[in-house]
Amino acid sequence: MRILLVEDEKKVADIIVRGLKAERFAVDACHDGQSGWEAADAYNYDLIILDLMLPGLSGTEILEKVRRKNQSVPILILTARDGMADKLKNFETGADDYLTKPFAFAELLVRVKALLRRGPVSRASVLRVGDLEIDRLSQNVKRAGKKIELTSKEYSLLEYLATQPNRVFSRTMIIEHVWDQSFQGLTNIVDVYVRHLRAKVDDAFPVKLLRTVRGVGYSISDGTQA
Amino acid sequence: MNPRSISFRLVAWYAGLLAVIFMLLCALLYLDLRHFLENDLREAQARRARQIANALLVHVKQTGEGYVASQTKEWYDPEINDRFIRVTRADGTLVYVSGAPKDGGFDPAEIPIFPPSSKTEFSQKLKLSGGDTLLIAGLNFKSSGNPDYLVESGALLSPVETMLDHLFLQLALGLPLAVIIITVGGYLLVRRALVPVEQITRAAERITQHNLSERLPAANSGDELERLSLALNRMITRLDEAFQNSQRFVADASHDLRTPLTILHGELEHFAEDARLNSELRDRAGSMLEEVVHLGKIVEQLSTLSRLDAGDAQTEWSRFDLTELARTTVEQMNLLAEDKAISVSCEAGQPVPVKGNRVRLKQVIVNLLDNAIKYTPANGAVHLRVRAANGHAVLEVEDTGIGIPVRALPQVFERFYRVDPSRTADSESAGLGLAIVKAICTAHGAEVEAHSIVGSGSCFRVRLPLSQS
Repeated sequence: MRILLVEDEKKVADIIVRGLKAERFAVDACHDGQSGWEAADAYNYDLIILDLMLPGLSGTEILEKVRRKNQSVPILILTARDGMADKLKNFETGADDYLTKPFAFAELLVRVKALLRRGPVSRASVLRVGDLEIDRLSQNVKRAGKKIELTSKEYSLLEYLATQPNRVFSRTMIIEHVWDQSFQGLTNIVDVYVRHLRAKVDDAFPVKLLRTVRGVGYSISDGTQA
Repeated sequence: MNPRSISFRLVAWYAGLLAVIFMLLCALLYLDLRHFLENDLREAQARRARQIANALLVHVKQTGEGYVASQTKEWYDPEINDRFIRVTRADGTLVYVSGAPKDGGFDPAEIPIFPPSSKTEFSQKLKLSGGDTLLIAGLNFKSSGNPDYLVESGALLSPVETMLDHLFLQLALGLPLAVIIITVGGYLLVRRALVPVEQITRAAERITQHNLSERLPAANSGDELERLSLALNRMITRLDEAFQNSQRFVADASHDLRTPLTILHGELEHFAEDARLNSELRDRAGSMLEEVVHLGKIVEQLSTLSRLDAGDAQTEWSRFDLTELARTTVEQMNLLAEDKAISVSCEAGQPVPVKGNRVRLKQVIVNLLDNAIKYTPANGAVHLRVRAANGHAVLEVEDTGIGIPVRALPQVFERFYRVDPSRTADSESAGLGLAIVKAICTAHGAEVEAHSIVGSGSCFRVRLPLSQS
């Protein structure tokens, strides 16, 4: 899988390249619009990550040029602007997803994987983490064969974490996925829900599945690397 | 009526001055006319006395006194003309006296003989028993070769007095009327002159931070009012520029902070998850990461505010039921409250249709509830109420929290305002939540106000126009 990153901020680019390489992606990084467009024009990338504010050609211009030539390559936009109008405009021009700075790398990775339809985004109807079983059709949750009663929000949160065991989800990602935009900035609600979820899922068992990564977020794992 | 207002003072001064001038003029007119009319009457009497003396008494030697008497009666016919004529000898005996006038204004017999006087001509006013006044002019006739006579001619003053009384009445009635007309007219005139000021005031009142691009109507009259409106417009232009500068500053600052924050966030994330580092170092990186996330949150809220300033909440409007939105939001926030053992109740019955940006208005409810839960101690209660009243949708969030001091109430909606500056332990909030509430409300033409009693709780009330289907 080969990814093109067009980002003029060297340090931001370094972090992304380092992170993506650790996930075994091949990454080419360009630091201005012109070379970005040339690279996008020369190779068939599997994904393009594009910053909007670039010297030379702007991100939007590259987006238009790429779309004129190649309809299918997924494009993820990085932007420091998060105005509604910007979002709409870029979706019209053909961006597949966008991420507003500052973002957690974990978030970027989740989106990259989703766009590549790759990685452990499970579509299975039953999710399993250790002895925890989540039936996505009946929304029944069992641990060690015993049924656990969850509220609908608790269930959504658990299911979201369990789609990618071992992956750390940031509070912002959880808010956006389980709640909605109006809860932006209200990340302590996630902590409260995770605490409630822990009480129901983990407290009665010696092996704790829900894990907190300080400053980053939450993940679910049975201790073994998937 | 306000006695300090410019219109009151203008009219009072102007009407007062005119009233004084009018009164002086009337008094002058009255006195002058009385003087003139009395003089005229007196002069007529004196002339008659002179005629009798010069035409008849001069020849008394030849004609005899009887002729004088009969001629006087024939020429002047005093009884018909309401006149009094009397000719007496120097010793006071009568030569002629006119009879009682036809309309009986006076009785000539009553009139005393004037005591001898050294003056040739004199006049006197005689008060009669009937109340009338008789004006008498006398002439001491002295001529060599003739005996001395006293000729008196008189007429009633009452026609003159009647006329003067009439004039006085007219003036006494006319003057207040004139003053009233002057006052009312002056007031209307001043009000008309002040209409442009009123217009400028109203237009200036309409201008808020959201329509600083509007200008006041220019009076175009070349006077002080035009200069005033031009000066105000220039001031609004300067305000507009200052406001835009500050908006641009917030937008640019929040924008430019994003890239360094991304770098910090990314680097720290690597540390926090780097399995090669020991857990203490990872924990420290995590702690720093928490602060970066908090900074990011402030930047996020600042940029939300600058977007709201730029009119973001004016887009994507729809019509929806505020009751239903409030109920679902409470359900979603409930756990946050339960966690602190706070009960949240929602009194929302009838559908309350409103128009606006649903996501933004939900943010208003979320922020108000979050605020209420945050500042309410354990075992407290938060009530959310939604109702329609007087064409408005009213949303209230009331808590049993620590309350806000009265002096702080006007400022709670300001950016970065904290009631207690020392309460920095509250790292979750950036002090922008209520500012965002205010900005969203303003964009929806809604009012938001806070009431509070320290120690017993606060109430935030949002009044939003109802949407008519």
